[in-house]
Amino acid sequence: MICCKECIELLHDYLEGELNPEIEASLEDHFADCPPCIAFVNTYKSTTRLCKDTLKSNDIPDAVKSRLKDFVDKNKNT
Amino acid sequence: MGFSDPTKDKATEEQLVKDLQAGEMGSFEQLANLYQGKIYSLSFNLTRNATDSQDVTQEVLLTLFRKGHTFQGKSAFSSWVYRITLNASYMKLRSRKREPNVSIDDLLPSFNKAGFQQEKIQDWSESTESLLFDNETRKVIQKAVDLLPDKEKVVFILRDVEGLSTEKVGNILELTIPAVKSRLHRARLFLRKKLANYFGEYKTRKEGK
Repeated sequence: MICCKECIELLHDYLEGELNPEIEASLEDHFADCPPCIAFVNTYKSTTRLCKDTLKSNDIPDAVKSRLKDFVDKNKNT
Repeated sequence: MGFSDPTKDKATEEQLVKDLQAGEMGSFEQLANLYQGKIYSLSFNLTRNATDSQDVTQEVLLTLFRKGHTFQGKSAFSSWVYRITLNASYMKLRSRKREPNVSIDDLLPSFNKAGFQQEKIQDWSESTESLLFDNETRKVIQKAVDLLPDKEKVVFILRDVEGLSTEKVGNILELTIPAVKSRLHRARLFLRKKLANYFGEYKTRKEGK
């Protein structure tokens, strides 16, 4: 039987669907009997989503946008 | 741009790059518009400073303007832009006093001899929704990412935040695919642990009421 350590090492490839079917099945067998690993997988996935949602929204502030536009205009006319 | 056709966008971008390589500077403004958001966002996630990110964005645009005609097309144009952005951002960071990085190994999961998890794992994944737009939560998440060692941080930002493919990240950073995957996984483990401390405590507090 595969242990927690091996499961967590394989987590990236498991979530990308990159494991061969046999290994994937043994991982899922482990998860079925291991609530801590289920909790780990859920929170691992949440971590990625939370960080992405938080960090993705770096829109350029309007003031910077307008300075960049002046900069581009100045350069394209030189 | 949200509803535009990606295939058409790609063709347009390729043409703009060809024009830039041919020294037709009319394409510069359009490429600047296409890329400035990505440059600023990446730089901001690395420097966490609006002035630095503005400087970096200007420097990168200036490089595109001055050196665009020397771009050889050996790798994708976007990879080239990301690489210049990373270099410019690191230059900014070098001039600043930085907090020492935390050792990533201290925050990786721990196992007993049989390979089973040693610590109690709480599942806080369901309790994060309402907290996401909370300012304190955002700060905790930003701080956790800021504490990542550089090698892992850049992979995490390019792959998970910017959403680039593993291959593309490998291409930008000149890393093998297994190296990208391994750094990404370590970054996620580190961040999971950091967020677990925060959300786990929050959950306990809430349930205790």
